[in-house]
Amino acid sequence: MPRIYIDGLPYEADSRQTVMEVAAANGIVLPGFCWHPKLSVAGNCRLCAVQVEGRSWVEISCNMPVAQDLKVLTDSDIVREYRKSILALTTLNHPVDCGICDKAGECLLQDYHYEHNGAPSTSHEVKVHATKFHALSSRITLDNERCVLCSRCVRFTHEISKTKSLGIVQRGDTSLVRASGDGAFETDAYSDNVVDLCPVGALLSRSFLYKSRVWYLKATPSVCPGCARGCAVNLWHRKPEWKLQALDARHNRAIERITPRDNPAVNGPWICNRGRDLAPLFERERATQAICAGFSVATPAAIEGARSLIERARRPVALVSSWASNEELAAFAAALGRHFTVFVKRDREPEPGEVVADDILICADKNPNSTGALANFASAWGPGSTLPEGTDLLLVWGEGFDLAQVPQSLRTIVLDAWKNPGHARADVFIPVSIQTERRGTYTNFEGTVSGFEACFEKDDSVAHAEDLFAALAAANVAAA
Amino acid sequence: MKPYKRPQYWNSPTMGWWERAYVFEIARGLWVTGSIFTRNMWRWITGRKGALTTYYPEETRADYAPLNRGKHILVQRENGKPQCIACNLCATVCPAKVIEIEAAFDPTDPLHPKYPARFEIDYSRCVFCGLCVEACPEDAIRMLKEVPDLPTFDRDTLWLGKEELLTWNPRKDGAKR
Repeated sequence: MPRIYIDGLPYEADSRQTVMEVAAANGIVLPGFCWHPKLSVAGNCRLCAVQVEGRSWVEISCNMPVAQDLKVLTDSDIVREYRKSILALTTLNHPVDCGICDKAGECLLQDYHYEHNGAPSTSHEVKVHATKFHALSSRITLDNERCVLCSRCVRFTHEISKTKSLGIVQRGDTSLVRASGDGAFETDAYSDNVVDLCPVGALLSRSFLYKSRVWYLKATPSVCPGCARGCAVNLWHRKPEWKLQALDARHNRAIERITPRDNPAVNGPWICNRGRDLAPLFERERATQAICAGFSVATPAAIEGARSLIERARRPVALVSSWASNEELAAFAAALGRHFTVFVKRDREPEPGEVVADDILICADKNPNSTGALANFASAWGPGSTLPEGTDLLLVWGEGFDLAQVPQSLRTIVLDAWKNPGHARADVFIPVSIQTERRGTYTNFEGTVSGFEACFEKDDSVAHAEDLFAALAAANVAAA
Repeated sequence: MKPYKRPQYWNSPTMGWWERAYVFEIARGLWVTGSIFTRNMWRWITGRKGALTTYYPEETRADYAPLNRGKHILVQRENGKPQCIACNLCATVCPAKVIEIEAAFDPTDPLHPKYPARFEIDYSRCVFCGLCVEACPEDAIRMLKEVPDLPTFDRDTLWLGKEELLTWNPRKDGAKR
């Protein structure tokens, strides 16, 4: 265990670490475009340079192995002067169009320029122009003028997604990041991670292009419900203080973008493209009208109807949702679990064209909490499952079950969040809240529990399933 | 309890016999107000300048300071498109948060790919501080010295959009010729 000194302070290091890694592990932020903790060392941006005490020039810390009693200075005059000239070089051909750049506000080049340089360009040369809005794929646009050639995106496709679909062509100031000709980048299921990886505004999401400035948005920690992996994500939505009044009010309650939230236990800093496309899934037309015996009623009246159906039922069966949080499932088990015969239902199945499973993140089970649900209720509802003999009431919670499968004479209670014409067949339909309107936890297929927070207020006509079961439990106890 | 004593003021009027006679001073006062009234009436009937009343909102005051911060205008390029690049700096700096911009992408104009599809200012909340003009990196928003004349019965009509801000022309306002 060598001990190294950074700016005079001693730090314990592992002999395989680099100075950059030791600094990062101890909360010392060294600037750098190309270094990323999960990618290999490229050492091409030169910005992380530090000075070894006693030497007269700088060396890059990301590629400097630690040695016993190595003494580095991160803020000496030489280092500061060097960083300044490197940033001047980086911005030499940069268009400085922050006003129309979606990265502005979370751009490393902006931050470093303010922190380490701050001076206008001294160059009198005409800037080298390159392609703008180059469509790298149907999801990502590339602005070559803004690119600093850090090669993070290239290394990502070589080392993480393993499609080897990006590369740098030509040389010098005409170097360009380009996708390989075989279209591998288009089909790369993790391609959008290069947008987050890009330290500048060169790689941008086409679906988020010019949608909102990032400082209007707030990140709410959440869990991706797209598959059983349960990746930690941030849901970005408009801050309440920036609520729109004249423009489209739907933006006030919309998920503007989804980015990964670093969670080493589950997904690291990556998520798949499918996880970024969840907003349309959440923002399908919501069910807000409760139905009781074919009539539109207020939600409390529908709860009353459900309560009387449960009271009268002798052998009720429930199909619980694998999109429900652990808290909701526990509430169901506590309130109604003993009265009902419970099966765990898969709410969603893989869609055509979707990557079903791979060895990086994507799991075949497209439901976030199957593990948590099966921990509460042992039996799973599969394609061949049939209702037990003598069932007189069926409670369906969530999507993925067609009521046409059961005889018309069977009494049914349906709890769902989204509109579906099949709901009309139910004797009682109660609209429930979705993940973005409540907090809770999911258990992923490995048993890791991760929590999510609420982004938006729920509608008054919609019930939280947890409260709903408490209301129905009172009836159940009275009947027993 | 002491009897009420009328307070004496340093500037209480002292009247001579002429004032005490009453009728002469009344006649003089009627002459002053009547002459101003007839003079203004004559100027108004004949449409001349100089009447002391400003007929708001048809007429705007001529004596605004040159640096008065009034209504916003969006500057246009030569082809009539707004100079604005929808960077949202004005909306961000605005202390009253009255500016809302919807940005859009124009692939046909590579030099100005981002433009405001909608640009809205709420004049019911604008404090006319001028920070939006200061913040603009493109000189795309300016403030004219004339104040906006927006008397209305409905708060919603105080939102002015891009078209209005681009075409608003101070000469169209009812300033007297």
